[in-house]
Amino acid sequence: MSANIRPSGVFDTSYAQDIALNRTRFDRLLANGLFVLLLLIPLLTLEGPFGLNILPQLWIGTIMRIAIFVIAVQGLNILVGYTGQISLGHAAFMAVGAYSSAIMARHLGMSFWLALPLSALFTGAVGLIFGLPSLRVKGFYLVMATLAAQFIIPWLLRYPLEPLTNGSRPLDVPAPTLFGLSFASTGAMYYIIIPLSVFLCLAARNITRTRVGRAFVSIRDNDLAAELLGINVFAYKLQAFFLSALYAGIAGCLMAFDTNNITLDSFLLDSSITMLAMLVIGGAGYPLGPLFGVAFVNLLTQNIIPALVVPVRDFVPRVLPFINTVNLYAALSPLLFGLALMVFLIVAPRGLAHRWEIFKIAWKIRPFSH
Amino acid sequence: MRKVFLALLLLAALAVPAFAQDETLPDFIEHTACEVDLTGETVTVYHFGDISGSYAFITQPLLAGLSDAIAYYNARGGVCGATLASDNRDTGGDLAQTQAHYDYYSTLEDEPDLIVLYASGDAELLSSQMAEDEIPGLISAGSVAGLYGEDGATPGWIYASNPLYSDQIGSFCRYVGANADQFPDPVVGYISWPGAFGEAAYTDETVSYCAAQGVTVLETPEYFPPTATDITTNVQNLVDAGANILYTNSLASGPALVAATVALLGLDDDVQVAGVNWALDTSVGLLGRSSLGSDGLPAVNGLVGSLPFYWWTETDQPGIGLIREQAAANERALSMQNIAYLLGWGLVDTYVELYAVAVNEVGSLDAVDGAVMKGVIENLSYSPLGLYSFDYNGGETRALPGNRIARMLFLNADGTGPATSGEDAMTVPLADGTTAYIPILVPLTEFEPAPDLRPGGADVPAGS
Amino acid sequence: MATITRTFNNNRRSITTGLYVVAVVLALIWLLPLIGGQRPYRLVQSTITGLLVGGIYALIALGIVVINKASGVFNFAHGWMMLLGGLIFYSFFTSSAAGTVSPAAAVALSLLTMIMVITTNGWRQLMQPRSLAILVIGTAVFSGALLITGANLQFVQALLGAALGGVLTGLVVERFTIRPLIGQPLFAMVLMTLALSELLHGITQLIWGSVEIPLQVFTGVAQLGIPSPIRIDGGETLAGTIIIRTELLIAFILALLAFGGFVAFFRYTSAGLSMRATAENQKLAQSVGLRVRTILAVAWAIAALLAAVAGVLQGGATSLSLNMPLLALRAFPAVLLGGLESIGGALVGGLVIGLVQEWANLLFPGSQAGTELAPYVVLMIVLAIRPDGLFGQKRIERI
Repeated sequence: MSANIRPSGVFDTSYAQDIALNRTRFDRLLANGLFVLLLLIPLLTLEGPFGLNILPQLWIGTIMRIAIFVIAVQGLNILVGYTGQISLGHAAFMAVGAYSSAIMARHLGMSFWLALPLSALFTGAVGLIFGLPSLRVKGFYLVMATLAAQFIIPWLLRYPLEPLTNGSRPLDVPAPTLFGLSFASTGAMYYIIIPLSVFLCLAARNITRTRVGRAFVSIRDNDLAAELLGINVFAYKLQAFFLSALYAGIAGCLMAFDTNNITLDSFLLDSSITMLAMLVIGGAGYPLGPLFGVAFVNLLTQNIIPALVVPVRDFVPRVLPFINTVNLYAALSPLLFGLALMVFLIVAPRGLAHRWEIFKIAWKIRPFSH
Repeated sequence: MRKVFLALLLLAALAVPAFAQDETLPDFIEHTACEVDLTGETVTVYHFGDISGSYAFITQPLLAGLSDAIAYYNARGGVCGATLASDNRDTGGDLAQTQAHYDYYSTLEDEPDLIVLYASGDAELLSSQMAEDEIPGLISAGSVAGLYGEDGATPGWIYASNPLYSDQIGSFCRYVGANADQFPDPVVGYISWPGAFGEAAYTDETVSYCAAQGVTVLETPEYFPPTATDITTNVQNLVDAGANILYTNSLASGPALVAATVALLGLDDDVQVAGVNWALDTSVGLLGRSSLGSDGLPAVNGLVGSLPFYWWTETDQPGIGLIREQAAANERALSMQNIAYLLGWGLVDTYVELYAVAVNEVGSLDAVDGAVMKGVIENLSYSPLGLYSFDYNGGETRALPGNRIARMLFLNADGTGPATSGEDAMTVPLADGTTAYIPILVPLTEFEPAPDLRPGGADVPAGS
Repeated sequence: MATITRTFNNNRRSITTGLYVVAVVLALIWLLPLIGGQRPYRLVQSTITGLLVGGIYALIALGIVVINKASGVFNFAHGWMMLLGGLIFYSFFTSSAAGTVSPAAAVALSLLTMIMVITTNGWRQLMQPRSLAILVIGTAVFSGALLITGANLQFVQALLGAALGGVLTGLVVERFTIRPLIGQPLFAMVLMTLALSELLHGITQLIWGSVEIPLQVFTGVAQLGIPSPIRIDGGETLAGTIIIRTELLIAFILALLAFGGFVAFFRYTSAGLSMRATAENQKLAQSVGLRVRTILAVAWAIAALLAAVAGVLQGGATSLSLNMPLLALRAFPAVLLGGLESIGGALVGGLVIGLVQEWANLLFPGSQAGTELAPYVVLMIVLAIRPDGLFGQKRIERI
């Protein structure tokens, strides 16, 4: 792993230094600086308190959406990337988080600050239930258990729980308040979501460095060997399911309080599959994988493809006159998305984070090539 | 007997040559005169919808209609001289994408004055955000939550060109109740797709309103996925529970599958299939060709539903004539000549009128913003190409109430009226070599306001 | 406490059996009154419908199992391969009937397929005179067969076109998307099939648009004198008429035939046996001289062909629409229920899922338990009892 490679002349002199996330002063400065910069972004937009028009307003919503999905995908990373249990039900757990927090806020009158941890714990518990089959079931069969979650949970929310959830109709969620101040505006929610997202990513990073995290990795690499080493495989798998669902629950809750309105159609199987795709693109089993994956997919669907659509739409009919322009409209975004993903997988099958690690090592040991 | 509007849908489309383009609009289009010349400026039609996902079959004709209409109006002066442009973004049916595209539009340097959207789910997601950002939206869908918020009492900034889905089933029940001779002891079974759109018409208010009209709605709705291969069990469940009318809030293969299953079970004579305005569509008629009823006509023959605008066959409407000419000139296939293509034209004509009025009011295109546009929308009384009546009563409503009930039939061989059997029907070869029966829509009532059945609406029976 | 644990451990087997029995009895107590309350013809009808619908699920599951068996990849793109196959069939079916098969399309399809077939083992094959001769002859034969005009040829031509298209799809997919990823993590390969479904989505929309197309392949059935649907009067015992949809029945029979063929193929032919060997252990298979690349390519071609068949049948039973790929997702439980490696399991899994779905629809009207819930609940129960599916391979694990 790259973590052991430092600029020459830097040595650890204490245990604290050895386990520090940022080993050099520069790393620490960079990390803290980036965090502060991230927090400054809303102040530099048109709708910020100073009305500066330095950064586009669009960034706020985009960064928040990315941050929420980073939390969710980070949860998936714990389960899939570290523990090696594929899940196709992550969106359903987000739905549990979103709906349970909304119900707590609406029907029990809880504040956002109480509903967030409670709904996260509740989602974790639901995750445990669907993790139970992992006692006996492995590999793609376990996918089934999570796929079952993806169908059973929305069914429960849609029909039997309809009085609470409004079924197929949307459910309004009140904006969070703190000491009488409302977080109704997008800019305010930014300061809840971003720190939480950064905190949860760091937490995930740290969990994976502990005894628990090492147990996860050993289960991923060879569960039988792990069991022989005395690791309680089932208990750790359940922990992974719990943590994964917990993260999904937090993401779902944030999503609900951010958009102030949720519908079940946001949490369908497609969404689960997309999150899995984001993770693999970013790099499963790497702490930065979720960030890279979510950001890249977002860039692709929001910037690259819309930018390509217009020129391609104007260009293709001139070269290939037999192609129906109306069909072209519809075909472009899936076509380009599929192509980009494919090229990407062939170039970087282990994900962007893997490339990034290679790049970092190359940078640190320059000018030598190995 | 009411006059039966008929025409040869395809034959006319084939027969009308591309007509010479004179550079003025025909007389029947009466836009407000422009007081400001906008030559050199651009009015963009911002639209996002499910272009590539599972609703693509209905979005594609809409896009075709939008682009044909934009080209047509631009060739005839555009909006007071300004050019119409379009910006379409594809959500693929994914609400996260909807949110992302909306964020993009709503944070544009020059914030849109008006956005066109399509899906009920999109409207429901964005309802409160659009109100907050003060961007009005035009839609051709009508779920209560999308237009009036979750409680049905907070009107948003989205305006629908058709009656609410719940009001549509209400006007159907009213029609059934008033025609007890045709529909003795009516019991409606609700069978539809799951989801925001499919389930939108089944509400407590519609059930109690229908009961007040003497129409029972079964309390066990059945929902089947659009992928379903066979829905015999669902249909039999409802029929066993006493249903003699099956109402569906779905489109394309949905109503076609319900009607086909009814025919398969040999229940054509006992069970009436009915649906939302999207069910009375060319696509349903064309899909119907693969399963015939006992009379040899497609099983969807006789489908009853809402028809809140004029249809392709009503050629005495000059607007319909114009759209038919243009569809032929642009070589739009029969499958494109549907409800969404009409709405695309209506939408562009509405844009021209809205901007003309708004610019007259505030003096320049730059001064038009969402709030101005909202005022214009709410106070305008206009009929886009004569297709429907655009009038939101000064902002009292969010959905246009005008509705009528119509029946889908198929043209007979002489082209003079509806066919009574398969031998009698006219068939036309399609581009792919198969033959199709020609669906026609016959209005059964005149336009009248649909009942107001949103929660707390004026027509909801007391005590429900 | 320790005694209790010991007693439990010693009698584990009998305790589990006892628990199963109790569970089954409870389930019966719950379900029997519901079943008893039904009219007999409804029960028979939903059983028949469930089996027929299950036939389609089974066919889809089979395609997924074949690929998984050979390469260990769970193919998410199967649904789009179905739609693509169905649409190619549709294009030849209709244009052949109208006598307007495009020569360019016919030649291109045949040529590309032949090139892909010949170069399965490497592009260098194209340089060899013998392969080139096969290429030219094959192209000529296939494009000739696609272009001949004649009465009643449309079915044959459409089948040929769909078969060529299916083989071409399978080979192209394997060559350009799966092969470059050999040796990479399984996740990457699974994701590649997801990327592939997006690409196929784009391709189908680009060529055929988004309009739903009813595929009228079963209209010929009526001319053969087979009624559609087949109606059986249940007499007094059933008190109702049973409907069997002819097109679904044909699909069901074809599915059974396909299964028979595949079971025989995997058991008795050398190609089938070498595929099983490859699935078992790729390195070992290679070391005894099996051409693993060819075998993988053949597996993908077969799966694409199966997808095309399923696409045509489903398209005939309903219509060719962009929703069809979602149907493949509904067949996932069938795959896992039967067992990922089991051909017979796919059949049983498909039928069981179809049955469960229809019965749930029948017994719990208005609850929407049928398509969304019941298959998954049943699946969870089965997996709890048999973790490798009903017929999946149970392997001894070693480090």
